[in-house]
Amino acid sequence: MDLIGTILWPLKWVVELLLVGFHWLFDNAFSMDPAAGLTWVLSIVGLVLVVRAALIPIFVRQIRSQRKMLEVAPQLKKIQDKYKGKKDQFSREAMSRETMELYKRTGTNPLSSCLPLLLQMPIFFALFSVLNDAQHGKAGVGPLNEELGKQFGSAELFGAPLHNSFASQWGLMTEGQPYSVTVMIIAATMVVLMTASQFITQLQIVSKNMSPETKASPMFRQQRIMLYLLPLVFAFSGVAFPLGVMFYWLTSNIWTMAQQFLVIRNMPTPGSEAAKAREERLARKGKLIATDGDVIVVEEPKKTSNQRQQPVGKNRAKKQSGPKK
Amino acid sequence: MNRFVVSLFLLPRNLLVLLLRGYRAVVSPLYGDVCRYYPSCSAYALGAVQEHGVVVGAALAARRLARCHPWAEGGVDDVPIKRKRRYTVTRFGFVVVPSHGKG
Repeated sequence: MDLIGTILWPLKWVVELLLVGFHWLFDNAFSMDPAAGLTWVLSIVGLVLVVRAALIPIFVRQIRSQRKMLEVAPQLKKIQDKYKGKKDQFSREAMSRETMELYKRTGTNPLSSCLPLLLQMPIFFALFSVLNDAQHGKAGVGPLNEELGKQFGSAELFGAPLHNSFASQWGLMTEGQPYSVTVMIIAATMVVLMTASQFITQLQIVSKNMSPETKASPMFRQQRIMLYLLPLVFAFSGVAFPLGVMFYWLTSNIWTMAQQFLVIRNMPTPGSEAAKAREERLARKGKLIATDGDVIVVEEPKKTSNQRQQPVGKNRAKKQSGPKK
Repeated sequence: MNRFVVSLFLLPRNLLVLLLRGYRAVVSPLYGDVCRYYPSCSAYALGAVQEHGVVVGAALAARRLARCHPWAEGGVDDVPIKRKRRYTVTRFGFVVVPSHGKG
């Protein structure tokens, strides 16, 4: 076994266990047809739900430290002002360096670290290779035995086998062999859906859940580029990847969208549009004072800033501020 | 002749540099900023391979990745620099023998 195969082996095992487990559940508890494509697609959806649910604690932690960033906002602003308008590489580097040092010093690092990615990528590869093996009717490394593997490989959704990709059908078409239009239609639909969900997620963040400080940062510009780069990536992978893998990705994207929606609605970034909207919503219901201590901290500065300042005459103002001598 | 041997010696690390540059150009932008360190894990890996070669560089990069988890403090974490530097780095990132000087 090669190196990558060895690393992926335990992950493939877990992916197979989850797939087979959900498949068994849908087969026995809901008496669905075990060979049907829908049963296998739902098993993939179940797999995504488990993986993403396991990542929730990391996500919550990230949100928490983003909240704590409010405390260091003035210092962050100072750094950004220092490098304002300096676009050369060295200034950018020095700015990132100082920002990171600030995060470390104050324990407010808002970034999620590379671990979630590092975990998800092999799961994706593992699913890819599980599906690829199933295409050739091969048994998996563990719970997915030969019988189930064959069944998975030949499962069809609306007459489109899950192991097929847009590219494989395109190849058959150009060779003049019989091909499946359904596979192409499903793949194209999924690319559109993935792009749409990604756009909605990103637009929600950018338009509603960003503080003015973040909008002024170079990080923001990078995220904008991402917004237009991703549809290309989706289109490319939508053509090359088997339908089963695409279902995993699509479900994962939809999860991200829903998660982002909930976060923006219930724990918005302080100072952002969404935070103002939430305050208004709560005020209308007469529930502005939250039970959560965290939230009060967030909203207090807002409340004082909304209060109207009583105009004061020149002489009185002098009196209020006290003698200056 | 000597130059040729050294280039051959540097070939594996330059291949890895090419791979990492590709990753940083294509895959990194997909996720935006996630790394809790500066330089980010992929930039660290690139620097480590340029500075220390494939074996030591990859080990350093692996160690850094293992440190980049949600419970880590993060902060500035540079690649350890060799005391004596024998090669220069091109603008793209390839490691080459300096074309002039004492060598």
